[in-house]
Amino acid sequence: MKTILVDLDRCNGCFNCQLACKDEHCGNDWRPIAAPQPTTGQFWCRVDQRERGRVPVVKVAYTPTFCGMCDDAPCLAAATDGAVYRRDDGLIVIDPEKARGQRAIAEACPLGMVYWNEELEAPQKCTGCAHLLDDGWAEPRCVDACATGALRYVDADEAADELAGAEGADELAGLGTHVLYLHKPRRFVAGTVADRTVNEVVIGAAVTVRDEAGAVAAELVTDEFGDFYHEGLDEARYRVSIEAAGYEPVELVADCTERDVVFDDVLLKRPRA
Amino acid sequence: MRTKDRTVVHNLGLEACGGGANMVAADVLDGRLVRIRPMRFDGDYTEEELNYWRLTGRDGITFEPGMKTPTPNFPLTYKRRTYSRNRVPFPMRRVDWDPEGERNPQNRGTSKYVRISWDEACRLIASEIRRVHEEYGPYSILCQADGHGESKAVHCCHGCQTRLLDLCGGYTVQARNPDSWEGWYWGAKHAWGMDPVGQNTLSTNTAQDIAQHADAMLYWGCDLETNTSAWGGQLASRLAYWFDDCGVKHIAIAPDCNYTAVVHADKWLPVLPNTDAALQLAIAYVWMTEGTYEKDYLETHAIGFDWFEYYVLGNEDGVAKTPEWAEPICGIPAYKIKALARYWARHNVSIAHCNGGSFIRSAFATEPARLEVYLMAMQGIGMPGRTTIKFIEWTLFGMASCSPLPPSKVAPSTAACFNGWVIGSNPDHTIAKCHVHKALRGERLSWYGHGTAANDRPDQFVKLEFPVGDNGPVKMLWSDNPAFSTSLNGGSEYLDALRSENLECYVVQVPWFEDDARFADIVLPITTKFESADFGTDADSGQWNAVIYEEQAIEPVGEARTDWEAVQSVARALEAYGGIYENLWERLTGGKDTETQVREGYEACGIPEAERDWDAFKERKYQLIPTVEGWQDQRVGLSGFYENPEVFPLTTPTGKIEFYATGLADHFPDDAFRGPVAHWIEAGDGHDDRLSSERAQKYPFLVESNHPRWRVHAEFDDVEWFREIETCKVIGPDGYAYEPVWLNPVDAARLGIESGDVVSVFNERGSVLGGARVTERVRPSVVYVDHGANSDIIVPGIGGLDRGGDINLICPTATTSGNASGEVTSGYLAGVEKVDVFELARRYPEQFARGANRGGAGGDVRDYLEGEE
Repeated sequence: MKTILVDLDRCNGCFNCQLACKDEHCGNDWRPIAAPQPTTGQFWCRVDQRERGRVPVVKVAYTPTFCGMCDDAPCLAAATDGAVYRRDDGLIVIDPEKARGQRAIAEACPLGMVYWNEELEAPQKCTGCAHLLDDGWAEPRCVDACATGALRYVDADEAADELAGAEGADELAGLGTHVLYLHKPRRFVAGTVADRTVNEVVIGAAVTVRDEAGAVAAELVTDEFGDFYHEGLDEARYRVSIEAAGYEPVELVADCTERDVVFDDVLLKRPRA
Repeated sequence: MRTKDRTVVHNLGLEACGGGANMVAADVLDGRLVRIRPMRFDGDYTEEELNYWRLTGRDGITFEPGMKTPTPNFPLTYKRRTYSRNRVPFPMRRVDWDPEGERNPQNRGTSKYVRISWDEACRLIASEIRRVHEEYGPYSILCQADGHGESKAVHCCHGCQTRLLDLCGGYTVQARNPDSWEGWYWGAKHAWGMDPVGQNTLSTNTAQDIAQHADAMLYWGCDLETNTSAWGGQLASRLAYWFDDCGVKHIAIAPDCNYTAVVHADKWLPVLPNTDAALQLAIAYVWMTEGTYEKDYLETHAIGFDWFEYYVLGNEDGVAKTPEWAEPICGIPAYKIKALARYWARHNVSIAHCNGGSFIRSAFATEPARLEVYLMAMQGIGMPGRTTIKFIEWTLFGMASCSPLPPSKVAPSTAACFNGWVIGSNPDHTIAKCHVHKALRGERLSWYGHGTAANDRPDQFVKLEFPVGDNGPVKMLWSDNPAFSTSLNGGSEYLDALRSENLECYVVQVPWFEDDARFADIVLPITTKFESADFGTDADSGQWNAVIYEEQAIEPVGEARTDWEAVQSVARALEAYGGIYENLWERLTGGKDTETQVREGYEACGIPEAERDWDAFKERKYQLIPTVEGWQDQRVGLSGFYENPEVFPLTTPTGKIEFYATGLADHFPDDAFRGPVAHWIEAGDGHDDRLSSERAQKYPFLVESNHPRWRVHAEFDDVEWFREIETCKVIGPDGYAYEPVWLNPVDAARLGIESGDVVSVFNERGSVLGGARVTERVRPSVVYVDHGANSDIIVPGIGGLDRGGDINLICPTATTSGNASGEVTSGYLAGVEKVDVFELARRYPEQFARGANRGGAGGDVRDYLEGEE
């Protein structure tokens, strides 16, 4: 079975995958694989976005999100009368006719990737572009439209090494999703260290990040801009100590439980004589 | 399952003007577009045939073009654009415009439209042309025939009417300005030449040079993830990732953390809008006082450095341009300015641009543009890893040297079959675009320089006037680009000009009923890309240039005709008057059909005869042009100038980098706003837009307005698939999709504004409504609004009100500076306040009823039609 392998470090947020999916399915009738998707409101491929940090260290985490074609698919389990079925190639398809009226199918997906079409009174979702694969395409529209290589359509066997380091969506944990991510974001801390009395950044300051138990999570040194930055922390509280020769040490709390932490510029003081 | 009947190939770049990019494949099924997708070359071409290229950066990391087009997002939505509910369905006449009676110009923008036939529309237009010719003369017809739009040649979207009018006495045309690089055009050219653009046009092989040698690149107002979507496409994004991979530190400098910075940047310096000049001067100050610049290089490569040094050190005005001086102006702490200056002096640093934004489209933008050249000169531009690079317009004006990537053998031209207005032509009857509102009001005006994007530096010293001699004022406007008020300077003032008594007839031909089209007297429905055959090119995508045999994919939507056909229809109607109009259609077209013209276009496109094969071209529908032989040996960018400026001079009068611009000194020695040496300009020439100004008491925000993420200028705003993306629109409490207005949480909290609130962005020129988006992606004291949102005018003109979020309505009318006629569309003052949108709806019930039942969807032509459902 094929896997959609998403390298989040290569996703620039262009939304090509979401748009190509709409181009393929909105207003186009691919029954018996899929009935037309409404012009707006459904996202069989959906790019989620989340702002991280604050001025002046800000990033956006884009996450292209897809039906996982799960081994243990809740939508399949929720269906009656064979309304959801797995093809020989592993793709899970909702039969547009048999699924009519079966709202439970739309409500079953923990990732919200099955939509309810009010007009057709039927659940709808990604088909993996089964109609195109059957017509000779090598990959679905979303992957075809990706310009950066963030999305790849890989054989589980051939890409075993890469897939070993990849993770599924948290919401699909334990279900055997076939959409996997590389480089999922982790929490970061960032700041700039300076001496306001002389208007100079402090280069080479030692920055130590410790968890609540006191274990060192990261040891950093401020760079030529007086900056420090570290990504790879857990959703937890940390203490950040900053030491530079000739200055009083500073200790700050970085509460990463809810968000990444960007400190106000850390202005070091000379010790009192 | 049948998933298509056939496939056509088109470009979907929005260059217009005969250019082209973004080649795509479009599948057709049962007479409708079914999908638009990237092209794959591997079935048609081998790497050997294409002279495939690979670049190598640090650590052997390579970059290559790939065999699939790097299609951006706009083409993927073009079906929605084609079948938009806002397409002009048939010819229309403004209901209270009666050429035999009352013309009611004051009602433009408020009165509705009625359906008329093509025959009637053409009779009306022909009759008005003849009347204006007889009463005022040919130059009283102004053609608005430039700007962006679909890239077509035979059926060119801009300027077909100029071909017609040229055959019956002449016409006046508005200059196609350098609308995304104003500061470089009006400023940097005086420092380093680079005609006609002003940005670095000597970029050959600089991508590889940067990947090998640069330690950092300053992405200065550079949003390559946004600004390439209508032309070059996503090779720019891949290039930026490659630089990241090669360890080139990505430093973003802009008021907003733009769409590029949020995925690429290692560091963001949030400078206040249009204060870059202060930051640049402070950097120069650090280098001067610490002796960390290339003194020997300046001796041999530059003139007038001493003038600059005298100014920066404070000898001229008693103010040393220290980092501490710059900090309150530009909003960057002095310690960070010093750190940046020192880093820059110690490392190989390049600068990246992608047009647009406050850096280059603000008042006095000539100064930061020149200062950038000065700084690069102080660090020896042309040395390995020290250059400037553009992520866009890689064959601008057919110049292969604009591209930092290996160029194709030929930059193909559509000239032989191009029926539009050729930029720079008709120079004796041209009006600089930024002054066009004055001409519409019937005023006499004068200014310097034709101001088309194609003019070279010396043209800026030519004084021009309108009307020329005894010619009459503008009385008729024939526009195929009715998007001035969404894209240029002084939108509200422009709308007032459209409503002036002086303007007797306003004809628009356009596919969509947007923006200024809603002020027209007659509107002609025009086809979109896939509704006609044409000869296409793709020369901006960075892979291989291409020519395209573009087949008609679908029947015209509604009663649409192509621009070329529409003008032919008017020609037929004019023939009835005989005289200068006799045999006009034959004279206009030469009797040629589209296929004949396409063939002529192909044969003269620049591909050598031995490499042309008409039948194969038609069969395959496109032809790629291989990479030039020996590209590896082509001299890197400015390395020649660096090694020997006498042998490889610049195109300045002295051949060197001119800190003291000799041309400006000769022609405008006393210009306080664009003098011979770049300065920090606080205010003047109609601009008073600093946070330190009195006006800031009332209007305490600086507006930052970049090119839009989900549009190209005013186009694509009706695409529902964009409108449902979180950053595209903000759904207000009344269900209307408002243009996002970005506010930093600090400012929003102070004003009691939350995300989703409807706010007004306002100044003396009017108010524009938007939906608040409270975000860390913009620094405090700045309000960020993309330009180009389709207007939804509640009250037209100066002091008016717009619901659509068209921020250009309230930008200044005054140009870059008095002698530099560039647009100013960013970096100006405005206030922001929360509004009660339900109260506004009670005050303006009719206007607020438009689109009330369409949820977040955009405009609909039916809202403006009488008696149509």
